[in-house]
Amino acid sequence: MDYSNQIREIASRLFTDNKIDYFVGYKQNSFDDSQVPFLFTDPAKISNLVFTEKSVFNLTNYLKPDHTKRKRVGLVVKGCDSRALNLMLTESQVKRENVYIIGICCEGVLNEKGEKAQNCVECVMSDPVVYDEILGTPSGKKGYTINADIKELADKSLTERADYFEDIFNNCIRCNACRHSCPLCYCAKCCIDQETSTLYHGANTSSGAMHALMTWSLHLAGRCVDCRNCEKACPSHLPLHLLHKQNESVIYENFQQHLAGMEKDDRGAFYKYSLSDPDDFIL
Amino acid sequence: METEVKEAQSKIVSAENPDLTAPADWQPVIMGILCNWCSYAGSDLTGTSRIQYPPNIRIIRVPCSSRVDPWFIIKSLQSTADGVLISGCHPGDCHYISGNYYARRRFLVTKKLLNFVGYHENRVQFSWVSAAEGPKFAKVVAKVTDDIKKLGPLHRYKKENF
Repeated sequence: MDYSNQIREIASRLFTDNKIDYFVGYKQNSFDDSQVPFLFTDPAKISNLVFTEKSVFNLTNYLKPDHTKRKRVGLVVKGCDSRALNLMLTESQVKRENVYIIGICCEGVLNEKGEKAQNCVECVMSDPVVYDEILGTPSGKKGYTINADIKELADKSLTERADYFEDIFNNCIRCNACRHSCPLCYCAKCCIDQETSTLYHGANTSSGAMHALMTWSLHLAGRCVDCRNCEKACPSHLPLHLLHKQNESVIYENFQQHLAGMEKDDRGAFYKYSLSDPDDFIL
Repeated sequence: METEVKEAQSKIVSAENPDLTAPADWQPVIMGILCNWCSYAGSDLTGTSRIQYPPNIRIIRVPCSSRVDPWFIIKSLQSTADGVLISGCHPGDCHYISGNYYARRRFLVTKKLLNFVGYHENRVQFSWVSAAEGPKFAKVVAKVTDDIKKLGPLHRYKKENF
């Protein structure tokens, strides 16, 4: 999967036609073979643009800041990124006429060990769902599989699970990188920060982290597209996907196989209801 | 030796933390979040009808069960509450027409996630109680209190511990 040349051509064409102000793409790191997201402002530097299976990040996150929000931006999206972009468009965070989307029919990106990443193995939609131009051949929608880690944890006893998650929450340093790296966390003021008592809820304790991460994941439930930007940003390498995948599997099983961002104008599982939703857990 | 065994049996063991016990006469604190139009009026009827129910529940009134953000539940469990009971109108009876349908979806996901990270599933319970169901409200509170008494005190992630 190497689309570097094609994307370079499209990007320089867009710059010469004066269709975009910025282009968000990947640049090769100078010190190793990894890639970093880069905001191209100068058409002369387009030759630095690359796109391979090491282009792991979700670039729609770079549509959030003020300096790109009201500008015309071109960007590269994979299947999962385009689902996030679809949700951002539906939620009026991005104007459709302001973005020029190059969709990639993704074949899966690599993780740190050089293997195919877990979310790409379990990927439901590798083709872009919203795009102006598409590169590669679409392979269609795939079947949903429940995450392997979720299955493994669900078989454990309650105490074992509680201990496991207490370790995770203990290792959280509350840097909020997960929140900042998420394209769908765009509130100007986050409810987690509105605590008057930073001693408790905002504190760097397992209690404070439980409060923050659980609230965060429940506010993203039914909207998370499993791009795993949060996990890549986490300096403590916490398995944050566990919380999201758990919510996703419950929503998929109970609410008409709902998956976030697949259709236009779909605002997520919690913005609609069905009369036949399960209520056997209610007294 | 026998007395020691008897003492151990008379204590309540915490469901999430087997090392932790409480005395047999321990009383839980339950956060009750009730919808203004049905359950709150229902609990009022329980009182005016002079029906007895456990005094462990502390009631908060909200406009609708869909007003309840999962955040409220998490914060209750992090604070003094050992359990949470959320009650609203029966499906189809919502004052705001569809609020409880939206709430129902959120409650299922919240309950499953809390269970996934290590809270016992009976810690957080939901019920539909209408304004005419005073006896049902008493029964629901008695059941929830009984369930949570069996689970013992909630120790994990309590902010007093830090």
